[in-house]
Amino acid sequence: MAEDNKTINGSAINRRHFLRDGFWGACMVSLGAVAGLLGRKYKKKDTVWQIDPYTCVACGNCATYCVLEESAVKCVKVFAICGYCDFCSAYYEPGAVALDTAAENQLCPTGAIKREFIEDPYYEYTIDEKLCIGCGKCVKGCAVFGNGALFLQVRHDRCLNCNECSIAAACPSGAFKRVPADKPYLLKETVHT
Amino acid sequence: MVRPGYIINRMAVFLVLCGVALGAERFPPPEFVETNHQLPPINQITDVTPRSDIYEYIDVGVLLAALGLSSYLVLRKRSRRAIFILMVFSLLYFGFWRKGCICSIGAIQNITLSIFDPDYAIPITAAAFFLLPLVFTLFFGRTFCAAVCPLGAIQDIVLLRPVSVPKWLENMLRLFAYVYLGAAVLFAATGSAFVICRYDPFISFFRLSGSLNMLILGACFLVVGVFIGRPYCRFFCPYGVILRQFSRFSKRRVTITPDECIQCGLCEDSCPFGAIREPTAEWPVGYYEKSKKRLAYLIILVPVLAFLCGWMGFAVRPVMSRMHERVRLAERIYLEDTGKVQDVTDASTAFRATGQQTKELYAEASKIRDEFGLGGWLVGGFIGLVIGLKLIGLTVRRQRVDYEADRAGCLACGRCFEYCPQERLRLKNAKEIIGES
Amino acid sequence: MEVAVGKASENSKTAIAWYRCAVVSAIVAGLFAIVVLTLIVRNYVPGETVNTQQEEEMEALKIEFQARPDDEQLLGRIRELDLKFRQERLRRLDFSRLGSYLLLGSVAVLLIGLKYAVAFKKKLPAPQFHPDRRQEQVREATWARWAVTGGFVMLIAAGLYLAGRPRIELPKPEMAAASYPSTEEIKKNWPYFRGPGGAGVSAYTNISDNWNGKTDQGILWKSKVRLEGFNSPIVWGDRVFLSGADPNEREVYCFDALSGELLWTGGVKHTPQKGDEPLEAEMLRDTSFAAPTLATDGRRVYAIFATGDIACFDFNGREIWSRNLGIPENAYGYASSLAMYRNLLLIQYDQAGAEDNKSKMIALHAFSGQTAWETKRPLPNSWTSPIVAGHQIITVGDPWVIAYNPANGTELWRAKCMGGEVAPSPIYAGGYVFAIEPYAKLVAIRPDGKGDVTKTHIDWVGEDYIPDICSPVSNGELIFLLTTEGMLTCYNVTEEKDANVPESTEEDKGKLLAPATKTIVWEKDLETYFRASPSIVGDRLYLMSEKGVMFIIKIGAEYQELAKCELGEKSYASPAFADGRIYIRGLENLYCIGTDSTKSP
Repeated sequence: MAEDNKTINGSAINRRHFLRDGFWGACMVSLGAVAGLLGRKYKKKDTVWQIDPYTCVACGNCATYCVLEESAVKCVKVFAICGYCDFCSAYYEPGAVALDTAAENQLCPTGAIKREFIEDPYYEYTIDEKLCIGCGKCVKGCAVFGNGALFLQVRHDRCLNCNECSIAAACPSGAFKRVPADKPYLLKETVHT
Repeated sequence: MVRPGYIINRMAVFLVLCGVALGAERFPPPEFVETNHQLPPINQITDVTPRSDIYEYIDVGVLLAALGLSSYLVLRKRSRRAIFILMVFSLLYFGFWRKGCICSIGAIQNITLSIFDPDYAIPITAAAFFLLPLVFTLFFGRTFCAAVCPLGAIQDIVLLRPVSVPKWLENMLRLFAYVYLGAAVLFAATGSAFVICRYDPFISFFRLSGSLNMLILGACFLVVGVFIGRPYCRFFCPYGVILRQFSRFSKRRVTITPDECIQCGLCEDSCPFGAIREPTAEWPVGYYEKSKKRLAYLIILVPVLAFLCGWMGFAVRPVMSRMHERVRLAERIYLEDTGKVQDVTDASTAFRATGQQTKELYAEASKIRDEFGLGGWLVGGFIGLVIGLKLIGLTVRRQRVDYEADRAGCLACGRCFEYCPQERLRLKNAKEIIGES
Repeated sequence: MEVAVGKASENSKTAIAWYRCAVVSAIVAGLFAIVVLTLIVRNYVPGETVNTQQEEEMEALKIEFQARPDDEQLLGRIRELDLKFRQERLRRLDFSRLGSYLLLGSVAVLLIGLKYAVAFKKKLPAPQFHPDRRQEQVREATWARWAVTGGFVMLIAAGLYLAGRPRIELPKPEMAAASYPSTEEIKKNWPYFRGPGGAGVSAYTNISDNWNGKTDQGILWKSKVRLEGFNSPIVWGDRVFLSGADPNEREVYCFDALSGELLWTGGVKHTPQKGDEPLEAEMLRDTSFAAPTLATDGRRVYAIFATGDIACFDFNGREIWSRNLGIPENAYGYASSLAMYRNLLLIQYDQAGAEDNKSKMIALHAFSGQTAWETKRPLPNSWTSPIVAGHQIITVGDPWVIAYNPANGTELWRAKCMGGEVAPSPIYAGGYVFAIEPYAKLVAIRPDGKGDVTKTHIDWVGEDYIPDICSPVSNGELIFLLTTEGMLTCYNVTEEKDANVPESTEEDKGKLLAPATKTIVWEKDLETYFRASPSIVGDRLYLMSEKGVMFIIKIGAEYQELAKCELGEKSYASPAFADGRIYIRGLENLYCIGTDSTKSP
């Protein structure tokens, strides 16, 4: 009786082993298939997140949605586009009372833009990145009335390159995209004559 | 990576381009005749050393080493202490140092998106993080969960007063992981969202910052985790679902005893994850017949369940598809155009600024909805099938004569080893041998 | 742990000491963690990196300050708050960085302490006796099956709940409603100054020709308009819109077309811009503060005022957006009406002198008010309104007639043929763009040119009895001009062959010929003054005199008066025509004239 039991168990175990091996093989094959599929598509280029400055609407989400407390997005300026205006719509409140550096006239909530006299009537505006929070207020100001020399960019010395970028998920205009890691910035080009 | 001087070259090209008229600017950039002022470079971008991808290859290397070491520690060394130390290392490296991204759990979505979106280039790290643990599991069981996964590690460390979860509850809660996996795959395949990343409860700890809601969720998981072993791993982890199935067929696996089981029962309570199976007893009289009949019914029921859940998945597509940004936008535009809402959002404003046709957007949204319909059928069907098979699994009787680690559920943490008198004997012998030599 | 326990019995004193040590350190670390956590949460909740509440507060203060730039106290408060907010932000950032490390450290100590404490108190494994393992296992399996079934039921319930949530059925792409009205829709309404295309031609013929404001005969309703404005009513469906303003207030009115009830009044705030010269009421005597006529796309209504304030309201009177374009420098007050092309609101913003380089054509996204494009215009201030003809924006100024591509604001063509202070708006009829140089000439331009078409596309000019305010009107064959002094003239639109002029040869056509001068078909002195532009309804001309008398004249080869109807109130605005109705703005009242009051508009 006991012997019978053993043989029955034995055959059951053998059957189970056989099935298990079969499934094991199937799992291996499926993994191989996935690997093959990915390998066929694999492009050598790694990607990073970046903002297309021509699509960006400077909504302000970059400042609040980044997983970092201080956003990885900061304002970038191409000086060759800048008009060096005395009344800079990126620096001043729309209804600024005086063209000076006083707090009540400045648009930037953190005072991150520096205004410097160059020669009559030109002023140079530089961004202090340590203070910039990427809110895009100046970007909007410059885009509406100015040349659009200011725009937001993901700074890759700060960005964690999350698998799903929280700002991208909150971007209203679809300006966030993955760009090749060897060209990690999308800079505006000058168009003036 | 940016070649040195790349951007400077680009700048130079821009400056040359300045002479070419491409359009009109409102305020022509000045010529500084008096001061001969030189334009500064573009912000500070040029000063910044660009991201280096060497870390990502190091990640893959560390992962491979950690998996190998973990498997060795679990199957050969059989040392809980060593496993614990490796686990702390993984937590520090993959968690706090590398900020928990990329992880194998999230990589499911990269793989899915890569399969469904022809334009998506999958990072090699994501592919490696998805595939390597699975391969190791096929050979050695869930040694990835034991000491490599930072999410598992953070929960394992806080586990102080394990309370056992009743079997029935465990079986029910585990369903959620399957639903989560299905939803994650669906959302990733349609290019809607990476929900696993979005709702990763521990990543805000790794980054030491994050939204308050996610921090609270993570804290809740950790507090619960003091009493219930690894709640996320057991009841929510979508990657764990795949690992469970692969682990069933693994070539080698954790054995509680290094020798023959003496049925002492000492190990019975040692597992905080409820993964130790006791020997099966004979069924009561007449139960076999009843069970056989039940099994027959269940086998017929499986397709019905699959169909029902599939239909459910199809029926929820209007809500599910809202996870996709284009569908949300299309609905918003529709509401605005028909005057059902009065204000405008940033997204709708941005859409209108592009000048794209509304009907193109509607067409796109309808297509995505259809994809959600088909995906809903498949994912729902999958969940129904899982439920059906689970019911069948709970009906058939498996022959078990010894105390064994559950093939699927065992996380290979190694806690049970030291409870086994046979193991103690082995260690003693080993010590003696070392002592002698 | 047996080892540890064994040791404990051997060396119980040290063990107890260690145990206490672990517990105490765990408690201390735990308390510390709680304190840090509380601080972090307190620090975290009121403001993340960007504290919107603070920003709004600051913004409100700044706006307040711009209104009262001499308020020293306010200025002091702004500066103080600015400094405070910025310091707070930096402090918060520093603290959250430090705090998270502190928390992490204390939690690590807590965990180590607790681990040790637990290790010392570890229970020995106690194998349990299972009296009836059979029943137990069977019961466990049964319960688990029911639990899984319960899970399934819950899933289905959740699914049903989700499926039952309100869904939004998107229209089929092929029948998707456009976000702007179709040409047919526009034709049925009177959405701009002088109706569809700014042509002054009604699509309806069932318009009354018999009323009297003094006896109320033929007048369906009459409603008072609170603030003055020379702009004309516009009509969409059952809504009539107009605006009024004085130096301090600007209002948009919406009337119910059926009853004449004032449905809502929308106030438009004035946000002064830097460097604006305030307007003098005296200067705006002839145009009022609300001269430009509104525009609507059937979804929203848009209004601009002489102060450069522009606002958008929905049909229920809710402001969607508003902005200020800067007070236009205009000798008599800004008067160009709004036009629309699809989703773009078109503003001809001519101001100051040509050399000031301040005039521009602006297109705003109708939904948001954001600038879509802006194109500089080399012109001084003008009083004409732009029209949209097909896919061209036609504008008239001194000295250019310029056509723009509405999609991006690039210039399509321009003709140098104007002069003086131009006020009559252009029309497009019979294949020509007609523009009027006050007192000087009527010009017919073919709009199919590119670049400067002055010498190539002007087919003919008319030089007799040229108006200075009223715009022309045409049915495609005849064009009518009406001077302020009441001289009505009729020209032939088509270039008929003049018997006196020898037929031009192909060769001549290639050369640059001076445009032919047209002679008048007929003229008639109506002996009263006109400000409103003439309109065409079917085969009749409707001319509204300043005194409020509507001249109704049969269109034909010679002058034939059909009727004269009195409104009993002065009127400067061009009337709006809808199905069976005329809406006339008197100086104080809005009139609806029609034959059948039960008929829905």
